[in-house]
Amino acid sequence: MSLDNILNHWSDYRKGAEEGGHHEYEHRWAMAINLDLCTGCNACSTACYAENNLAVVGKEKFESGQAMHWMRIERYWDQQELEHPEQGASFLPMMCQQCGAATCEPVCPVAATYHTPDGLNAQVYNRCIGSRYCSNNCPFRVRYFNFYSYYESSWPEPMEQQLNPDITVRDKGVMEKCTFCVQRIRTVKDKAFMEDRSVKDGEVVTACAQACPTSAIVFGDTMDENSMVSKLWKKHQVERGIYQKTKYAKKDTDLRGYRIFEELNIDPSVMYLERVREDI
Amino acid sequence: MSKKRMMGLFGDFEEAHDAIADIRRNEVPGLTVDDVTMTSPIEHPEVEEVLGDRPVHIQKFTLAGAIFGVVFGFIFLAAAQASFLVQPQGGKPIIALPSNIVLIYEMLIFFAVWMTFFAFIFLSGLLKKRSALYSEKVSLDQVAIIVEIDDSISESVKGLFQKHKVLEIREEAIR
Amino acid sequence: MTMVTEKDINEQIAWAKINTDVLKSMENPRPAYWITLAVCLAMVACAVLAEYIQYTVGMGTAALNNPHMWDMYIAAFVFWIGMSHSGTLLSAILHLIHADWRKPIYRFAEAMTTFSLLTAGIFPMIHLGRVWNLYWVLPYVSDRGIWPNFRSPLVWDAFAITTYLTASMLFLFVGMIPDLAICRDNTTGWRKKLYGILALGWVGSDRQWRHFRKIYLLMACFLIPLAVSVHSIVSADFAMSIMPGWHITSFPPYFVAGALYSGCAAIITLFILLRYFFRFEDYMTLPIMEKTAKLTFAIAMVWTYLNLIEFASVWYGHDVYNKELLIAKATGAYAWIFWTMLFCGSVLPFALAFRKLRRHMPTMFVVSLFLNLGMFFERWMIVAPTLSMSHEPHQWDIMYGSIVEWAIVFGSFGWFGMLFLIFVKVFPSVSMYEVKEMVFHRKRSAGEEDLARMTDHAKPATQTTGGGGGA
Repeated sequence: MSLDNILNHWSDYRKGAEEGGHHEYEHRWAMAINLDLCTGCNACSTACYAENNLAVVGKEKFESGQAMHWMRIERYWDQQELEHPEQGASFLPMMCQQCGAATCEPVCPVAATYHTPDGLNAQVYNRCIGSRYCSNNCPFRVRYFNFYSYYESSWPEPMEQQLNPDITVRDKGVMEKCTFCVQRIRTVKDKAFMEDRSVKDGEVVTACAQACPTSAIVFGDTMDENSMVSKLWKKHQVERGIYQKTKYAKKDTDLRGYRIFEELNIDPSVMYLERVREDI
Repeated sequence: MSKKRMMGLFGDFEEAHDAIADIRRNEVPGLTVDDVTMTSPIEHPEVEEVLGDRPVHIQKFTLAGAIFGVVFGFIFLAAAQASFLVQPQGGKPIIALPSNIVLIYEMLIFFAVWMTFFAFIFLSGLLKKRSALYSEKVSLDQVAIIVEIDDSISESVKGLFQKHKVLEIREEAIR
Repeated sequence: MTMVTEKDINEQIAWAKINTDVLKSMENPRPAYWITLAVCLAMVACAVLAEYIQYTVGMGTAALNNPHMWDMYIAAFVFWIGMSHSGTLLSAILHLIHADWRKPIYRFAEAMTTFSLLTAGIFPMIHLGRVWNLYWVLPYVSDRGIWPNFRSPLVWDAFAITTYLTASMLFLFVGMIPDLAICRDNTTGWRKKLYGILALGWVGSDRQWRHFRKIYLLMACFLIPLAVSVHSIVSADFAMSIMPGWHITSFPPYFVAGALYSGCAAIITLFILLRYFFRFEDYMTLPIMEKTAKLTFAIAMVWTYLNLIEFASVWYGHDVYNKELLIAKATGAYAWIFWTMLFCGSVLPFALAFRKLRRHMPTMFVVSLFLNLGMFFERWMIVAPTLSMSHEPHQWDIMYGSIVEWAIVFGSFGWFGMLFLIFVKVFPSVSMYEVKEMVFHRKRSAGEEDLARMTDHAKPATQTTGGGGGA
């Protein structure tokens, strides 16, 4: 609580997200998901359940919308003109987009969610009091609330043995969401630090990317120009901090990259590659 | 020369007003309007004309409270925000002026209201022990004039009161 | 011939009668009072039981889900904050424009403000997932150097509602001091002791009255922008988000208009109840009822206008999310709530435009209850449809609340009723000294009119053409 603090950091407020925000970013984790490769198998969703100690809520609660799947596969049928309309199913793996200008962050009354220097949107379970404003302000609706104490019933003996010790089990009343497997990121960063080197591309593999049978999910660091994800972003001309027009405005139909709800200007970190359809 | 307080109860505000006007015109030597207090069941702003200029200072405290609210509010909020740097959010500034303006506005009103309240309690002479000259008729419908006088002029004061149709007169000696 | 207009109050009322009538209302209650109080307590007990279940089992019992993270609690919260604007309107705004017809009725309206705020304050607590950590929203010096997030509208809510509750309670208390002196002088036993303390030694001296006038004016001047800002901040809970149907710039005035509307309708309801049960016909007169009804009608039209421009701007805009949402509100699952809200809020107030209906107490009672129902539905229509149909189509859903939620909302009405019932028996629900002032000033101005008329008659008969004085 010092005057120095106020005076020194006053100018920080002028830096927006594009200019690095309030910190110099070391990494900027991002994803590229190829919707053409996605078969909707839900392996990513299952892997996420296993990796992050997600509670299985049961059929009844799932149907009333209280599921805890941080990674969900959304199915849309948008090609009614086909002979068998169900063939036209589109699958959209949706998880927290780790937005650069996240709308969920400023509205938490107790500052339980914030932006890390890694470019991730962090959720602090201990600080959350469960006001749920963050979830209401998420346009993707990817924040999940612990409506019950799921740990009491989700893992009957001896299933609690399969819980991941690197991550907590949440009690009722707190909000949670995809963290880009931050525990894996931390482990890799720590290892790299011990070995006095920088993190290599492909070293951090999120659970969903690891499980995907078609390698539709690519995860990496966009600060590293040689990473696969950076190359994909550059190739499909998707840039942070810039409101990108949809693929229909792009001259070249090979450019399939887009981010969801870009017009809201929230700078998501996940780029989707549009599914190639039979007729464009 | 002993001093005492005398209270005259009047059924009508007009009569009490005229009595005070008489006192103001010095019809009773030795008694000035400064020694006069009027108690009434309702407010009578028109009595100010005859009672003389008795200023009210509450608004100065209100202003002080409001200024304190703004200054303290801003410093407190900016200091808290500036020291809680570990959590930047969504591209929003650290010392977010739009949010702070809303909060400072509320703090302005909060402190102004409390200062006004305390100023009222202390400046209006509440919280004092009521003198024996309080009559319950005042809270009903009668107006009382209380004067602080020397014993020597008490008869002339009584005469003035009776001229204006006083209903009851009470006295209290001041030690 | 001059028209005899019905007066707001009979100027010939003896002041002693004012004292007796109002003090009589605070005497030992009849059985009807105890039954009503018991009903209110039963409602509160329902709510407490429901909250116990929710506290121990989890928020899931409130039938919330993804996307419906907010539901009836927030709607009820906004409803109760809205209802609290009644007292401010009547006490402060009408005071500044010297509308003295407010004098017999503003005391219970101010009380209603305070109790609405106390009821509204329950909801931010119980809607939290971890209620026991509620105090983290307040800015205190913690050993970890953690502060609440001042950018969040919910923290603005905490500041604003605290300020409003404090200012309202102080205003109610200060305005009651002369009345408490009257009560102190006319009671015995525990009441006398209580009023003796609360009256703070008020004797009615000119010094006290002078300061009293000043503080009343100052507090009224502060209370008006405060009330406007409080409900604007509550609207910011919605307007500061990016959700379609919430991110609307006209939300602050819309909410404030809805609040004044809700408050006025509640004033009419309580007016009729107090007038009937305490026989306050001499003070809460029909002309005053008419004026209140006309005021409610005016506010209803303002609210209707703000609704219409919201619809119009959505309709003319190209924001696909907002447009689809508006169409869904009117034709989808919530359509019955939407149209009931519009009927109760915009069509029903026309009953207040007819003199015959305005003066008919049973009609006014029913109409005022339906107006408030319309306002409750309005809050529901603000909270639920946006969450049902936001940006991401995969998460569209419909929600009607659960028994636990409805029990708590229902119980909040009992809590409010209980507080108000206790108030009317312990404190004077009609402001005695203000009614005396009203009678005094009207008598004086009527006397002046009579005097003017008499001197006009006394003038010589040589008049120029034209009206002249009197008939």
